[in-house]
Amino acid sequence: MMIIVYTVATYLIYLLSKKVYSKWNIPFFHPLLLSPILLIVMITLTHVTADQYMEYSKVLSHLLGPATVAFAVPIYKNIAVVRKNIGTILVSIITGTLVAIFSTFVLSKLIRLSYDFSISILPRSITTPIAIEVSKEIGGLPTLTTVFVIITGVVGGIVGPAVLRWLSIQTPIAKGLALGMGAHGVGTNKAMEYGKQEGTFSSLAMIFAALITLVWGIWLIPYL
Amino acid sequence: MKKLGVIIIQVLFLHVFLFLGIMLKHIIPSPIPSSMYGLLLLFLALLFHIVKLEWVEQGAGWLMAELLLFFIPSAVGIVNYQQIISLQGLEIVVLITVSTIIVMGLTALTADKIAVRKRRRSS
Repeated sequence: MMIIVYTVATYLIYLLSKKVYSKWNIPFFHPLLLSPILLIVMITLTHVTADQYMEYSKVLSHLLGPATVAFAVPIYKNIAVVRKNIGTILVSIITGTLVAIFSTFVLSKLIRLSYDFSISILPRSITTPIAIEVSKEIGGLPTLTTVFVIITGVVGGIVGPAVLRWLSIQTPIAKGLALGMGAHGVGTNKAMEYGKQEGTFSSLAMIFAALITLVWGIWLIPYL
Repeated sequence: MKKLGVIIIQVLFLHVFLFLGIMLKHIIPSPIPSSMYGLLLLFLALLFHIVKLEWVEQGAGWLMAELLLFFIPSAVGIVNYQQIISLQGLEIVVLITVSTIIVMGLTALTADKIAVRKRRRSS
């Protein structure tokens, strides 16, 4: 019963947030910011703890699994594009993943993050299901990593277009790869607004970034 | 309504690949998550025409379009970390913002350079 109530409530609040965001387009109304805030208010009023709520809405977080599988579809549909640009994709994403890990590492030292936080934050720029695996691999806390991944998505969706404008990036491949690399699924969502090509490159960037970061998680991060 | 039915069936069908991924992970253990194994299996199945694109296209499209929804439950879990809702939290947001700007900037510049050079060479 609770499962149905909270799953439906989450879905409705999500739809509402999406409407609000597309109408006013203020960063604060981002669905990944507004929905959790509304839900936190709701569970506080109904005396449900966050852990209980996460248990009730498990169906939704479970769907991240098949959603990851689903990314095989755009890769397959764009196999010709992948073949033609594989070099550009690999060089850009290897650069991007290394920059992501090192800049996060140096900055977290600079603000003196605690051990748990500084480990859990390293895989923040990749899609959640794989970020969680990397986090486990390197000894981080998966829930904490999820939170950092989400913050990265929200921030990336907001600053991404500005960065592309400042650097006057013109090619769809560069726009797509940057958004998918920097802000995983949320960036890809944004890239789709730019156009089909940007969206494709962004989903490709997201998948390659996840796989390459997985490799760094095994061979590089333990030696930092 | 018919579209909704198609999406539900296709999302369920995508689970087959998720389960195959879980099985494959047992056979070939590695830190790669089972959903990634599933992605690879579905990709190969599409490539070798074992699965037709129409069988999964709408379900996959819906899952990818509503990706944000599936993050929301874990986002609510943020309340369990008081540290984030503090001064340190603000520092973390600044860290992520700075790092993300650098990551996106350098990725975009790298890709742009290669793309422009490639175009020049072919023309």
